[in-house]
Amino acid sequence: MRDEHIISIIENAPLSGLTESELALVGAHTAQCAECRRAFEAAQISALLLRERLAETIEPSPFFQTRVLAALRERQAAGETSALRRLWNATGALVSSMAVTVAALALLTVFAPGSQPATGSQETASAYNTYSAEEVLFEQSDTPADQMSYGQVLSTLYESDDDR
Amino acid sequence: MQSNDYEQAEELELARLARAGDESAFAEIVRRYSPRVFRFASRYFRQRELVEEAAQEVFLKAFTQLDSFEGRGSMEGWLTRITTNTCLNMLRASKRKPELTVSDLTEDEGDWLDNQLAGTATERHQLSERSLVAADLAGRVLETMSADDRLVLMLVDGEDTPVKEVAEMTGWSVSKVKVRAMRARSKMRKAVEQLLAYKRKHTDRSFETTERER
Repeated sequence: MRDEHIISIIENAPLSGLTESELALVGAHTAQCAECRRAFEAAQISALLLRERLAETIEPSPFFQTRVLAALRERQAAGETSALRRLWNATGALVSSMAVTVAALALLTVFAPGSQPATGSQETASAYNTYSAEEVLFEQSDTPADQMSYGQVLSTLYESDDDR
Repeated sequence: MQSNDYEQAEELELARLARAGDESAFAEIVRRYSPRVFRFASRYFRQRELVEEAAQEVFLKAFTQLDSFEGRGSMEGWLTRITTNTCLNMLRASKRKPELTVSDLTEDEGDWLDNQLAGTATERHQLSERSLVAADLAGRVLETMSADDRLVLMLVDGEDTPVKEVAEMTGWSVSKVKVRAMRARSKMRKAVEQLLAYKRKHTDRSFETTERER
């Protein structure tokens, strides 16, 4: 044990926690080992520095209680404001998303091909189309066999005029 | 409730009243426990402003966490845990100095180290003398260490707090506290050893120069 360094002993536990036998071991070793002596000195000074540092304490000022209560009220007020803001933001987002959805549905209803039922306005628009009976009859390119031909129609019309 | 009643009230009752929105009850909690919170926070911060900031944050957190205080343990212990976490977070957020060299030391701090070097060889009892210089130097050395190292060193080595208690305060395992304390102890010792080595060299050079001049 005499040749073993004592670094692990002084690092495993606080110096104040070393047992008598450990301290004796450290004493015996540091008397011969300069490296461990320096380490032990540093450990002792470290312990002293910590004690000196802990001896310093700061007491609360007489206004501390007032300060804490003021900070608490401030934080509570800020919390309420931010809660309202969050609610407002959430409502705004909901309203705008609803508006977008409605607009998208309206666009789909108007412009989607062949999917919309005939509405009243469309019926009105077709009523205003001015087609004459002659245009309807004469512009049919493919006349089916069971319908009257162009000549038959003319003769029918003029015959009825002659009858009058 | 009269102000005298608040002073007499049990801590669980105070917590219940404060939770219900009784500001006077919370004020009594602050009055009763602020010395303890300040004492604890001054382990980690030396400036009054920082200690006050930490203590204020502790009580504000305590107010929001009053529901978690069920009176199983003491309110002092509960507040100590909150203080530990608050100080730890503040320390983690602050910048730490990577290294401390002799050139960073004030003349007083250098002299103090010289005295210790001389004293350790002769009169060991001088080590127990308290001084502001030592506290300053301790603060500088601790600043080079991480927040966790600082905390564990102050508690375990500085105040002889049992490892189990530190584990409860920090929420770490007992083995983590032990390992962390060992590493922190080693770091601090090495930092001090380095300073002492520089001082020895400096002292030897001064001695040689004086001898040559003669």
